[in-house]
Amino acid sequence: MSEIRLQVQNVCKSFGITKALKDVSFNINKGEVHALIGENGSGKSTLTNSLTGIYQKDSGKFILDGEEIHPKNQVEANNAGVSIIVQELGTLDGLTVAENIFLGHEERFVKMGIKNTNAMNREANALLKQYGFDRIKASEMVEHYNFEDRKLVEIVKATYFDPKIVVIDETTTALSQEGREELYKQMNSIRDKGNTVIFISHDLPEVLRMSDTITVLRDGVYIDTVKSADIDEDGLKKLMVGREVTGHYYRTDYGEKISDEVVMSVRNVTVPGQIHDISFDLHKGEILGFGGLSESGMHEIGKACFGASFDREGSVTLADGTQIKDIPTAIKHSIAYTSKDRDNESIVINQSIRENICLPSLDELANGMHLLSDKKMKEFANKHAAEMSTKMQSVEQFVSDLSGGNKQKVVLARWIGKDSDILVLDSPTRGIDIKVKQDIYQLMDRMRKEGKSIIMISEELMELIGMCDRIIIMKDGAISNELMRDPDMDENYLIASMV
Amino acid sequence: MASSNETKTKKGMSGTVKGYLILFGLVVLSWAIFKILTPGNFGSPANLLSYFEASLLAAVGAVGFYFVMVMGMFDFSIGANIMLSAIVGCVFATRFGLGYAGLIVGSIITGAIVGLLNGFFYVKLRIPSMIVTTGLALIYESVANYIAGGVEQTLPSSLRALGQMPGNMILAVLAFVLAYVLLNYTKIGTYTYAIGSNEFVAKNMGINVNLYKVLAFVISGAFFGIMAVLTISYGSSMVAVTGMASMSRNFVPTMGCFFGLAFKKYGMPLPAIIIGEFVINIIFFGFIALGAPTAIQDVITGLALLIVVTMTTKVTKGEIVK
Amino acid sequence: MAGKNNIAADSKELALKKQSRMSLIRAALPIVGLVVVFLVFNILTHGGLWASRNLVLNQVYVTMISATGVFFIMTMGGLDFSQGSILGIASIVVCLLSGVNMGLAILGGIASGAAIGAINGYFYVNRKIKSFIVTICTMFLFRGFIKYMASNSPVAANMRVYDFDTMPIKLGLTVVVLAVAYVVFRYTKFGVYLKAIGAGEKAAKFAGIRTDRMKFFIYVLAGAITGLAAFINIAKNGSATANVGNQLETQILIALVLGGMPISGGAKVRFENVIVGALLYTVLNNGLTMMGLTTQTMQLVQGVIFLIFVAIFADRESLSVIK
Repeated sequence: MSEIRLQVQNVCKSFGITKALKDVSFNINKGEVHALIGENGSGKSTLTNSLTGIYQKDSGKFILDGEEIHPKNQVEANNAGVSIIVQELGTLDGLTVAENIFLGHEERFVKMGIKNTNAMNREANALLKQYGFDRIKASEMVEHYNFEDRKLVEIVKATYFDPKIVVIDETTTALSQEGREELYKQMNSIRDKGNTVIFISHDLPEVLRMSDTITVLRDGVYIDTVKSADIDEDGLKKLMVGREVTGHYYRTDYGEKISDEVVMSVRNVTVPGQIHDISFDLHKGEILGFGGLSESGMHEIGKACFGASFDREGSVTLADGTQIKDIPTAIKHSIAYTSKDRDNESIVINQSIRENICLPSLDELANGMHLLSDKKMKEFANKHAAEMSTKMQSVEQFVSDLSGGNKQKVVLARWIGKDSDILVLDSPTRGIDIKVKQDIYQLMDRMRKEGKSIIMISEELMELIGMCDRIIIMKDGAISNELMRDPDMDENYLIASMV
Repeated sequence: MASSNETKTKKGMSGTVKGYLILFGLVVLSWAIFKILTPGNFGSPANLLSYFEASLLAAVGAVGFYFVMVMGMFDFSIGANIMLSAIVGCVFATRFGLGYAGLIVGSIITGAIVGLLNGFFYVKLRIPSMIVTTGLALIYESVANYIAGGVEQTLPSSLRALGQMPGNMILAVLAFVLAYVLLNYTKIGTYTYAIGSNEFVAKNMGINVNLYKVLAFVISGAFFGIMAVLTISYGSSMVAVTGMASMSRNFVPTMGCFFGLAFKKYGMPLPAIIIGEFVINIIFFGFIALGAPTAIQDVITGLALLIVVTMTTKVTKGEIVK
Repeated sequence: MAGKNNIAADSKELALKKQSRMSLIRAALPIVGLVVVFLVFNILTHGGLWASRNLVLNQVYVTMISATGVFFIMTMGGLDFSQGSILGIASIVVCLLSGVNMGLAILGGIASGAAIGAINGYFYVNRKIKSFIVTICTMFLFRGFIKYMASNSPVAANMRVYDFDTMPIKLGLTVVVLAVAYVVFRYTKFGVYLKAIGAGEKAAKFAGIRTDRMKFFIYVLAGAITGLAAFINIAKNGSATANVGNQLETQILIALVLGGMPISGGAKVRFENVIVGALLYTVLNNGLTMMGLTTQTMQLVQGVIFLIFVAIFADRESLSVIK
């Protein structure tokens, strides 16, 4: 049996009234990749953030190699031998690569208050070379590098000092295949050195492939720790949700013919730097999927169809000949859009649910004198929020208080209220737990049957395969492949046309 | 990939050169325009030196203020700070008979205290810096008024060496060197950029964000203290105004800072501030040489800042600006 | 499990109650403050404040009308420091045109205010410059023009403007502006849109609001409203000096903050902020003057009270990073 590296003992953490972690205890061994999984809000990130000093736990202990640690920030955590790579960008513009790598650890380059920049750059360059990232230069400003390279800088920053534990918090979702492979390589090399990786991911196949041991959390409570070899995806889902996922997850029909009626026709659309010369048709009652790497331009397609792209060339035309050139026109002609960046682009976060749902429908809600009544707005919002079974106290509650899944329900309630016929859904299930995901899939299937057309953009290939009548694969801003719905469609086949 | 980065580095090298070229181009251009318009009483080498001396005042304040602006904060109490610091310095030098030491130490300490208060209230009250400093400026103006007792504070001619060559130049160069070292060769500089880039990430890296924000305000305040020394030495007296009239002193240092922010990408923010202030002064004195009425000076100041900001602001589509 | 849920629900309810209590306090404080300040000063001045109520009221009109426009601007998260200069320029225009025709003078004031508002709007919306920077620039720029125009002698209006210096006209105009603004803000999509822009501009745009057009229009509108206030200002004073409208922007800012306006705008603003704020500010100022406070002491008191109120009403949850 392998040795214990970290003991998590009775850790509790609350945010105001929400208990994010309730008495969590388990052990993590040396030389393993230990995955931490659970639905959104299950407390995974809270736990690792408490371990790495980003949050302070309320009670309980972290015992690392027999000694209790309580870091107050990431630097103290680093010094104790724990580091973290976060989901979002963890590098800072305006600083050089070297300054980023050694941020918070400048002391050894500082003499009498004066910083020795040359020594710092020399050491950073040596490290980058050692990792095989020679193309990144220590003295260069970090903003001159793309997202992937900046993630590599973060990997160096988090691992160069051979920490005993490296936390990787949902980093892979943001990376391309190439970047993922690089990260996997690093994970394996950390394990091979006898150190430990704590790996957080929503992607269950990835978790099963990469990790040795898996710990499941649910609602801030420790559920179980299992060996990856002893469990499959369904078993994990069951542990995460706490019951069998009943009913069908995706739609189950195959072989239905797509209507010939074209509701939206996209011709030669180019958005500089994003997508190039894209043309396709969307049919009535169809779910059209767009897949690809995050940077493939597929997210821009959603914006282009909604009139939200800047400097767009080419045309987006509806069946009645209407040209979609801006957002108000798109909405007026029954197009709905949910953004990947939900908190900034889909909902007005510091606003009530009522006003969020009513926002595009105010003209319909106003009376002959263009006046609005609170009562009418409230009824409207209540009706559509209830239709989506949104969990809330009242429609006057602010959206910022809701979970990711319920936020998305508010967004969808808004467009159902507007009775949109064409829905452009960009990453509709991103960061949403399984139960709400299922609700959204069912809603999409229902809408399709009602004759509404849906464009679904997603980085999750499984849901594209499960839900779409047609899938268009994007690569480097252009269409690289198009596939029809097929029960035997293989994920790997899609990946092949993505990279 | 490797080769593309190679060119990037080269571009970075020529970036600084490009920055200097643009700035010197501006100097020559602004000089040439007014030289053509009023060849007689403008733009001789001696004139240019005096314009440069005048530009040192605001440049000294601006290099300090840069620390605050890089972090994305703002300060509406600049004018009030300069006024208060100059009056305290003057009182120390004359009423308490402490001479130059009193003037310099009194002004700088007062400036730093004002900065400390700005930073403290901003951090503690957690409201936008622009708003906090507006409220505090009301208070500073009133305090300056109390200290001055409603009388114009005049610096005796025996204490005005810092208003002329070489005193002003020495003090200014010392200030520039200090700012340069702080920005490039200490943790403060690194952390200033880190906080300006992303506060959350900076905080997670163990940087005490609030501490460094307060520190930025203290540095900025102290540099405005130096600016106060130069201002009262140059102008020989200071009136304590009320009703936010001190705001008019905010403009010129702020303009310089916008130059600094705009040229940050060329890796030369501080030289850009100094040369930028020089350009602004050439234009000012150019208008004076043209015989523009004094009231129009305000118009020029407002317009100049608007133009500087317009030219240095990159219009990014879809960006949210408040 | 059920018990746990109940506890969670209970504590959630408690927190919600606390939240609503906080918002109740925030809503009530300015009004209570107004009443208390009014009573205290009346006692301290032995009813002097009440006796000079017409004088006090006379100072409210301009501030309150122009604060209405700034209220719209601040609701969508912007700021406007050029209001004093707008009032100044518009006042000069009113004076110059009053000799020709009174109706033309009113329209001229409104048009010149709107024009400056349009300049603000252009640089803010099209050039993407922060609103406070744009407006301090235009404040200074137009202040220069005012000084230039009125430096030797004040710009005098036609004597007939004094015909409009009556309580019914001034109060009536103020009430009309406020009533229209209230209905539009509270009961049309305009108000919902403004709050949405303040609470999340990008999302507002994706919900179909033409945010840029709206922002530009609001700056023009605020300029026009202050242009209208310039007419009352000239009816009161008869001429425009070099100092006309000086510091109006600070007064408006302080007034709105005293009225309970969250400085970042958004969903939590209420129209009452304008009325209560302008009244509270004027009563406070007059009370302090009657108490015999000097200018600098008054300014000290103003500064302190301003900071206290900003601190109380700041909507910190909506500001993820406070700059």
